[in-house]
Formats: sequence, C-alpha cells, structure tokens
Amino acid sequence: MALAALKTQLKNFVQSMFDEGVLDSQFSQIQALQDASNPNFVEEVITLFCNDAERIITELNKYLGYQNVDFGKLDSYVHQLKGSSSSIGAHRLKLACVNLRQASDDRSKDGCLRALNSITREYCLLCSKFQTLIQLERNIIALERNH
Amino acid sequence: MATPLRKMFDRISGFASSWGRKTAPRGRRIFHRDVEQEEFQYSSTRCLSSYYSVFVARLAIMVMLAILIGLLTILTWHFTRVYTTKSLNTLAYGLRYELLQRPILRMWNILNSTSEITTAQVKLSEYVIRRYSKPTNQAEQVELYQMMKDITWALFASRKALNAITINYKNGFVQAFHRDHRSNNTFYIYSDLANYSISSSESYGNKMLESQQGWNDQFIRGNVSAIWYREPLDPVTGEKIGKAMQIPPDDLINIAGPSQVPDGVASWHVAVSKFTDSPLLSAALPVWDASNTSIVAVVGVTTALYSVGQLMKELVEVHSGYIYLTSQEGYLLATSTNAPLLNNTAKGPKLMMAVNSEDRVIRMGAQWLQNAYGNNLPPGHVVHVEKANLGGQHFYIDSFFLNLKRLPMVGVIIIPRKYIMGKVDERALKTLVILISASVCILVIGCVCILILTNGVSKEMKLRAELISHLDARRRAEASSNYKSQFLANMSHELRTPMAAVIGLLDILICDDCLTNEQYAMVTQIRKCSTALLRLLNNILDLSKVESGKLVLEESEFDLGRELEGLVDMFSVQCINHNVETVLDLSDDIPKLVRGDSARVVQVFANLISNSIKFTTSGHIILRGWCENPNVSSDSVKFSPDHKKPLYALRAKLKNHGNHMKKASKRDNKMILWFEVDDTGCGIDPSKWESVFESFEQADPSTTRTHGGTGLGLCIVRTLVNKMGGEIKVVRKNGPGTLMRLFLLLSTPPDGTEQHGQMEFAKHSVAVILALHGSMGRLIMSRWLSRNGVPTLEASEWNELTQILHELFHARTRNSGFETHYSLGEPLRSKVHSIQDMRNPVYIIVVDLGLLDLSTDIWKEQLNFLDKFSGQVKFAWMLNHDTSNSIKMELRRKGHILMVNKPLYKAKMLHILEAVLKERYGELHKRSPNGTKGAPKEGDSHECLEIDSTQFETCSSDDSDISEIGGSGTDSVSSAHTGDQPRVLTVKSGASNCQTLKNCLVELTNLDSEVDNLRADEDQCNGRPKGNDSEISNSPEQTSISSSTKEREKSFTSKAANGQKSLEGLRILLAEDTPVLQRVATIMLEKMGATVIAVGDGLQAVDALNCVLGEEEDRPQTEICDSPPYDLILMDCQMPKMDGYEATKAIRKSEEATGWHIPIVALTAHAMSSDEAKCLEVGMDAYLTKPIDYKLMVSTILSLTKTSSP
Repeated sequence: MALAALKTQLKNFVQSMFDEGVLDSQFSQIQALQDASNPNFVEEVITLFCNDAERIITELNKYLGYQNVDFGKLDSYVHQLKGSSSSIGAHRLKLACVNLRQASDDRSKDGCLRALNSITREYCLLCSKFQTLIQLERNIIALERNH
Repeated sequence: MATPLRKMFDRISGFASSWGRKTAPRGRRIFHRDVEQEEFQYSSTRCLSSYYSVFVARLAIMVMLAILIGLLTILTWHFTRVYTTKSLNTLAYGLRYELLQRPILRMWNILNSTSEITTAQVKLSEYVIRRYSKPTNQAEQVELYQMMKDITWALFASRKALNAITINYKNGFVQAFHRDHRSNNTFYIYSDLANYSISSSESYGNKMLESQQGWNDQFIRGNVSAIWYREPLDPVTGEKIGKAMQIPPDDLINIAGPSQVPDGVASWHVAVSKFTDSPLLSAALPVWDASNTSIVAVVGVTTALYSVGQLMKELVEVHSGYIYLTSQEGYLLATSTNAPLLNNTAKGPKLMMAVNSEDRVIRMGAQWLQNAYGNNLPPGHVVHVEKANLGGQHFYIDSFFLNLKRLPMVGVIIIPRKYIMGKVDERALKTLVILISASVCILVIGCVCILILTNGVSKEMKLRAELISHLDARRRAEASSNYKSQFLANMSHELRTPMAAVIGLLDILICDDCLTNEQYAMVTQIRKCSTALLRLLNNILDLSKVESGKLVLEESEFDLGRELEGLVDMFSVQCINHNVETVLDLSDDIPKLVRGDSARVVQVFANLISNSIKFTTSGHIILRGWCENPNVSSDSVKFSPDHKKPLYALRAKLKNHGNHMKKASKRDNKMILWFEVDDTGCGIDPSKWESVFESFEQADPSTTRTHGGTGLGLCIVRTLVNKMGGEIKVVRKNGPGTLMRLFLLLSTPPDGTEQHGQMEFAKHSVAVILALHGSMGRLIMSRWLSRNGVPTLEASEWNELTQILHELFHARTRNSGFETHYSLGEPLRSKVHSIQDMRNPVYIIVVDLGLLDLSTDIWKEQLNFLDKFSGQVKFAWMLNHDTSNSIKMELRRKGHILMVNKPLYKAKMLHILEAVLKERYGELHKRSPNGTKGAPKEGDSHECLEIDSTQFETCSSDDSDISEIGGSGTDSVSSAHTGDQPRVLTVKSGASNCQTLKNCLVELTNLDSEVDNLRADEDQCNGRPKGNDSEISNSPEQTSISSSTKEREKSFTSKAANGQKSLEGLRILLAEDTPVLQRVATIMLEKMGATVIAVGDGLQAVDALNCVLGEEEDRPQTEICDSPPYDLILMDCQMPKMDGYEATKAIRKSEEATGWHIPIVALTAHAMSSDEAKCLEVGMDAYLTKPIDYKLMVSTILSLTKTSSP
C-alpha cells in the first residue's frame, strides 16, 4: 500500500514537473529504461547529469569571468550541457542553454551572463526537484526490496 | 595673413581627409555582409557629416576666392596709386623747387643789381670826390655836389627798379633821388647847403674817426635842425619840374648814414618806408677818400621788394599756391598774395612776421612750420612736407634757405595738395571704387559659379548618401529577412519537436485498447489535425530553407513514373469523394530512371495536384508528362509554338552556361521533362497568373475561407522548380480550369536511357474493353493502347458494356437476335467488327467496380452475367479504395483475381496485360491457394502489382506526411521483426531533415501464419475489422497493399512483446562525450539486447576500433573478413579531442584495408539537412538527432545492420 502510494506520489511529482515544463518526454523514456536489471538507473543518470552540469556551469562561470571571453570554448561547453540536458529531458534547462548559445553567437557578453544566470537558476530548481525525486525513488526501491 | 591662410589650408586638408575617410569604408562596407546596428547609425551620421563637409567646402572655396580677389584688388590699387603718387611727387617736387627757385632768383637779381648800382655809385662818388677833394670854396663845393647829383641821377635813371639812391656826405649834406612807384613821381631830395662847411666837416670827420658811434648819433641829431628840400623831377630827363619843397629830414626815405656801415663794409638790411607798402631792401656802402682812410660819404641804395612779390603773384597765378619769403627771423619779405606786408603801428609801418600774416594760408603755414620745428629748423632750413593739414586742407610745404651774407632769407612755398594730387587722389578713389565694385562683382559671380559647380557635386553626394542609405536599408531588410528565415527555421524546428511528440503520443493513444469508439474517432481527428499542422510547419521550413539557401537538392536515381503513379494513386483516393477523376498521362518516352531529388519532385507534383483537387469540384485532373532531350533539336518540332518559346529561352540559357554545362549535359544526359497539371476547377484569373506563385498569395482571398490553405504551396513549388533548373507558369487553356505547365531539367543515368522492354502487344492480338466511369482516363488509356496496337472498346456504363459484350460474343456465336435489342453506335460497331476479325484474340475487360450497381444486390447478378463470358475474356477489376470486403471476396470466389485499385494508368494496364498474357501463354493454369512457390511467375506478376501499390502508398504520402511515414516506417520495421523472414528491406533516405529513414518499407513475406497472427493482433487491438484484411485472408499469397496502413496502427503491445530484444547480438560502439547521454543510450541499447561499448570521444572510438583491428590482423588472413569488430557505431558529432566527423573519416580510412563497412550513425543536436549532408559526406550512413528517439534509433540501427548483413 505504501509502495503504491509512493509510486503515485512519484508519478504525480514527475507529472508536475512535466506540467511545469521542467521535464519533457525524454525523461519518461529514461524512466522507462529503469527496470529490475538496473533499478537505480534513474538515480544514476540524474547523479551523472548533476555532476556533469555542475562541472560545466563552473566552467562557464570561469570562462565568462575572463576579460576576453572565448566564445568558441563557451559554445562547446554549452553545447555539451544542452546535449546532456536534452538527453535527460530537462526541457527548461535546455532552453536556457539555447539562449546562452544564441547570446554566444551574438558575441554578447551581457546576454551570456544573463543566460548563464538563468541556466544556474534552472539548474538549481531542477537539482532540488531531482533530489526529491531521487529520495522518492530510493524509498520505492527500499520498499520493493523489503517485499 | 599667414595664419588665416594656414587655417584655411588646414580646413581644406581636413575636409579632404574626411572625404577620403568617408569614401574608403563605404566601398568596404558594400561587400560586408554582416551589418550591425551600430554601423547603420554610424553611416547615417556620416551621411549628415558629408552634408556639412560639402557646406564647409563651398564656404572655403568662396572665402579663398574672396581673399584672392581682394588681394588682387588691393595690389592693383596699391601699385597704380603708389607709382602715380611717386612720379607725381617727384614732378611736384621739381615744380615746387622751380617755383621757389624763381622768386629767389629774382631776389638774387634784385640784390645783385642793387649791389651793382651801389658799387657803381660808390666808385663814381669816389672818383668825383677825389677830383674835388679839398674843395676850397663854396663854389667848388656846389660844383662837387652838382657833379654828384648828375652822376647819381644817371645811375638812378638807368635803374627803374630802384627806389632811391642816397648819398650822405661826411659833412651831413644829403643828396637823394627817390622814386615813388605808386604815384610814379621822381623826387630829388637834398639838404640845405648853407648849414654845412667844409672845415667843420673836416673836423667832424676826424672826430668821427675817433668815435664813430658818437658821430653817427651826433650826426642824426645834428641834422634835426637841417632843412631838407624835395623837388619833383621829370622821371625821364631829370629836369626839374616843380619847386623845391621843404620837407622834414628823414621823413621820406631812409638815408643811409654812416651808422649803417659801421665797419666800413657793405651792409644790407630791409627797410620800411612810409610811402611804400612793401619792404625795401637797402644796401649801404661807404665811400672812402683817396687815401682810403676815412669815409667821406655813405651811399645807400634802396630797392623795393615789390617786384619779387609781383613775380610770385604771377607764378602763383599760373600754378596756384602760395609763396612767401621771410628773413631768417621770420619777417615777411614778399608774398604771392596781396596781403599787406607791413604793420602800421604808431611809430610807422613795421615788418610783419609771417605767423601774423593776414593771409590765412601763409599764416597757418608759418604757424605749422613753427609748431613742427619751432626755432630748431633743420640745417639749411630745407623742409619738404608733403601732407600738412592746414585748416582742413592738405598742402605741400617746402622751404628753401637763401644764405645771403647779412641777409639770410627763407623761401616757403605752400601748394595745395589738391592742385598736384587732386586728380590723382580723385582717380585713386575712383579706381578704388571701381576695383572694389569689380571685385565684388567677380566675387559674387565666382560664388555663384562655385555654387553651380558644387551643386553637381553636392547632388552627387546627396545621391550617394541616398544610395548608401538605400544600401543600408536593403542590407537591413536582407538581414531582417535572414533573421526571419533563421527564425522560421529555428522555430519550425522547435515546433516540430513538440508536434512529433504530440503525434507520437496520439499514436500510442490510438493503440491503446481501452478507448471507446468516440474517443478513438476524436483521437484520430486530433492526429489528422496534428499531421496537417506539421505539414504546414514543414512547408514553412521548406520555404525558409529555400529562402535562406540551405536547401540542398539530392542527386539520386529514382523511378519518376513510379513516383508519379504513387502520387496519383494517393490523390485519386481523395478525388473519388469529390467526384473528380485523376488521370496520369505520361508519354512513353519518359525515361524510367532519372537523377534528382525524388522527394522534392514528388513534393512539387503533390502540391500542384492537391491544389488542383482543392479547387476542382467536378471533372478531372490530368497530370501529363512528356520528355524532350535538349540535345536533339528535331524534337522541338513536335511542340506547339508556345512550347518553343520557353524551350528557346532554355536553350539560350544552356548555351550561356557554356562548356561546363555542355560537358555536364553530355555526361549526365540532361533532359527536359515537361509536365502539365490540368484541372477543371474554378481557374485562376489571368491577372493573377504570376502572383499566385508568391508566398501567402492566393488567387482569390475568399478561397482561404472556402478552401483553407496558406498560399505557401505554389511558392514552394516554384522555388523548387527553379532550383531544379525549370520553370513553371500558368498557361491559357480551353474550357474551365487551370493549366499549369512546368519543365524540369533532370539528368538521366547513362544506363537508364534505354526504354524498358515494351511488350509487343500487337502480335499477341489482344483486345481491351475499357469499362470505366471516368471518361478522361478512359480516353487517354484507349489512345495509348491503340497507339501500341491494341484495339480498344470503350464503355462508360453497364448497359454499354453489355451491349459490347453482346455484340462481340453473341454476334460471333451467330446469335443475331440480340442485335436488334442492342444498338451500338456505328463507329463502335465497326470497331467491334474489326476486333472480331482478329484471329484468336484475347479479350481483356477492364471493369470499373463502380459500373456495378452496388447499392442493391443487383451487382451479384451483374457479376453472374459477366461470369458467362469468363471463359472467353479476362476480367480485370478496378477497385475503389473503399470497396467492401464482401465484394472482393465474391470476386475472388468467382475467380477474378486481377484486381487493381483505381485509377488506371499505364503501368497498371501494362501489368494487367502482362499478367493476362503470361497466364495465357504460361505453363501454369492451375491456381492453388498457397501456390506462390509453385507458381512463381504468376505470383510474381501479382505481387509485382501489389508491391507497386504498396510502394505508391508509402511514397505518395512521403513528403506531405513525414511524421506519419516516420511512424509507419518504424512500425513496419519493428513489425518486420515480428515476422521471421524480412524479405526485402528498402531504405530510402529522403531529404527531409529530421527523418532519415522515413521510407523504411518492409515487405512482409506472405506466410499465412504470420499474417494471420498479425491480423489477429490488429483486430484485437483496434476492434474494427478492415475490409482489406479479408482480402489477405482470402488470398494469403498476396500481401495486401492496405495491410501496410494497418501496420502503421500496429499496437505497441505487440511491438513491446516482440521488439524488446530486437537488437539481440549486435555489438555497438557508442562514442559520446556527455555522460548522461552515454548512459542513457547504453541502457537503451542494452535493453534491446545489444552489447554496448561506450567511449568518451572520437579518438577513443578510433582507437577502440583500431585496437580490435590490430588484433584481427594478427590472426590469419582468412579470418579478417569474418566480421567486423562492431556491427554499428553510434557517433556523437561534437566531441572533445576528435569530433565525430574526423573520427568517421579516420575509421573509414582504416577500413579501406579490410573491406568492411561498419555502419556509422551520427548523433547530433543540429537538425538541419546541411548537417545531415555533412554527416553523410564524411561517410556516415545515417543520422539521428538528439534527444534520441527510441523507436527511430532502433529502426535505424536495424535497417543498417540488416542491409549490411542480409
């Protein structure tokens, strides 16, 4: 019963993230990939993603801190972040990445900084949600093990 | 002068440099494409500054001109004036000098003469006195005096100018002659002789010697008591003419006494007399006695200076001006005026100082001199002043010094400047005025000229500025248009993703089995709408891609006829509801295979036909096509004149392209393919014939309301046609409707030119009866058949068909009773007879199912009726797409196996004919339900038909419905794996960007069990049986066309059950740098049973491959070709160290040695077709976009692995 409730809660939570546009269908694909053979898949992927994203955001901050911004470098990092966020289905983060790319294409440092801010914001939001999600997943897995 | 000049120069040089600066970047900017906003502003300010610079330039030139002219004027004036003045001054100086010199000379003369007279008088007196020295008596004394008087008179008379001669003897006796110039009287004045004695005189003389001063005073006083007489004389003869009158001494004239010769030498002085108003010059000279020791008498001569004044007056009269002479002390001696020279005082007249002269000018001149020099006159008293301001007038003042001993004199001449320089000054003024006015005129004219001249320049500048602004505006417009295209491209990409999701979700929903029928209908409706929306997006994307120049046409071989047939098949389905007939009329000379972008060609015709359908409510739509080889000029003969014109234009164009084009056309065998889309719709107003090809343009605004649409279709068509080297236009046609004519320049592959083997139908003696509804299609078909030597009969309705049948067969069976009932038209009958004449003909009756009365059960009877002829004729049935299963079953049951879907066109007819002929001549006549293997030929022929149809279905929906196809593609692929033996896997890569394998078409084998399973699944999940399925069940050896449409809707459950491990056994190398994606992809692939080796970048991928290769090379040669280390590589395009493109190149290079071809699938987030092109260019086989679509990835991988290892 508790398991079902938890699963419902998880489902609702994920659905709310869908509704908010934080996540898109890609995430459900990832969820679908999780099964008995690798029960921690979602968590694993999220952790990977978070580490990767944090690293990239740090890099981005570093690059934008320079006097002369190397937009090519910036672009490749943003591209990576965009790729990983779109893979995990972090829709809004992806959009923010697109903004940053646009700004980087325009060679506008201000725009880049703004976009980076929004990326950071989106990431923090996403990260907190993911934490909750992972917690739920863990609970579910724990309960499943007990069964 | 230098500073303003330099300033001017600076300004001009600044202007020139600003000009230079201005022009140089403009040229650069023209070629500069990326224009920023700032630059616009920059250039606009430039523009403004150019106006200023023109203004400044004009001003500068004008100022320069003004200065030049001013200088010229001043110089001219200066030179003329200075030289004139100088020469005049020199002349004037001479004149002045001359003028002054003359009175002085006169003066000098007077002085000379006076002194001469005096000297003469003295000498004579000395002589006389010596002779009468020591007069002893009174008589002698008187004689002496008489003698003296005579001598003196002689002298006096000889000199008219003399005023007086006086002789003052030692003893006080005075003799004098006096001439009064005013009254012109001459007097002799003498003192009373009685008062003087010689003795006393002697003693007096001695006394005088001792103290002369004392003598003199004494003498004067002594004479007070003397009595003086004056007697008038005849001025000429000297005769006494009157009585002597007694006069007071010294009253009349100055008698020069011894006092005036104090040192015994001659003396001069100026005297004043009572009787003359002019000063007198008197000279005194002593007369010495014989021993030269004592003075016996003093002779005085007085001359009036009046004559000098006279001369001066004369001179002045001629030359004007004023002259005066003064003594050194400043007393006036003579003037050129009439002003008195003497001052009458109480003591008698006195000399007047020049400064006190009554003449204004002289007074002022003297005062001026005094003021200027005071008493310190320059040495020699020589003064030349040219501009002395005397009472408001300018004068020349010159003075000369005449240094006479004892009587130094100064002459001054004052000449009004006006006299000498008056004219000059006046002229100078006039010249100045004229010069100034002339220069002003020149200046004004010059300025006007400059204005006129620079006006052209400034106009040009303005034009240039305008041009620049226009260029800017154009560039801005282009930029914004670019932005727009970019935006559209981006947006449509962004929009397509959610749309794909929506459609995918709808697919899932449709497959869901818990939907009610209503929900199902609604969801289907939603899906249709989504598809339509996606189509619109695709259109926009196409357009923007074409506009932004990103559209790259593919070059691949394709079967043009087949594509078009598929298209017509598809649209005919739509048309049937509209009661519109769709006809395909391709001429036989159209090459089977052409090179080009099939998707785009099909899109062109799809757009055109759908457009026609939209506006055609009844009638027909004909797609005609014929071919023309531009290399063969004789071909053009068969075209009507209005065909020729574009052809010539085209030829000219081709010629212009030159050798390159010729070579290309030789190699590729370029062909001009002409097409017409002819409909009987509402038509287009001729005025809109051009504009309908503009974007968002429709012939009639109301059409949007009635027919919908965005007006993009024709625009896309035209851009595509132009891109393919063709043209499209609307052509006038007879009757209602629209006729669009276009030509495409497509190349045919060298081996594809030969015509596919036409069957020699004529020799098979085939006859065809076309019993079809659509008159146009029937007509065209019958024409084509008769061209190929196949006699045809036409019937448009059931009764006609029965008539023909009766005519044909009952007549032959000599059952002529029918003939009375059935009356055929005469031409038809003759045709029938001609057919009857054929020897052992094969009759093929193509019957439209629509000819049967399907509304009631009559059709069964009609079938039975036709069955009667089944022995003699072959029936081919034209089915509608919605023909119900029961009818098909019935037909099959009766042995009518030849069934094709409408519409009928050449290829289908060919197949019918071939099938019939093969059946006739074929070895096999028996037909078993599972006889495919036993009767391969027949099966093939049937299958061929159906395969075609299948292909058409998929191809036709190709571009207009990408996502649908994508879905169907994937589904069919996966469904292929539900079956065990995928027989043919056709992978077609379309040009559309996102979907690489949109035409994954899998044809299932016709294994009964599989199909049954499948159908069962479908029936189960859909809950509604489809007519086509029963067809399959009835003739299981034929895989139905429509089954593919069913496969699209195949349930997920079946796929999930069967497709789970679809990649079992595949080894996949995944090169992906993003950990998340790497992980996700790995899990995805592993879930499907694939073995995944993940690497972080391109370099590692290459290494991973090489390392395996290296291992393999160690093995014996025979094993190398065993199998490649990986079945497939998934390659991210953007990776650190080595990106996907480089890695692919490296892998392909290393593969060369082994002969393998490991499929490489690109993974990229860039979703434009140019990226795809790039991927394919470097040697990748397919192309997937991020985020990875599960289904698409599986289908792609499968298609690649299966084709590579069939």
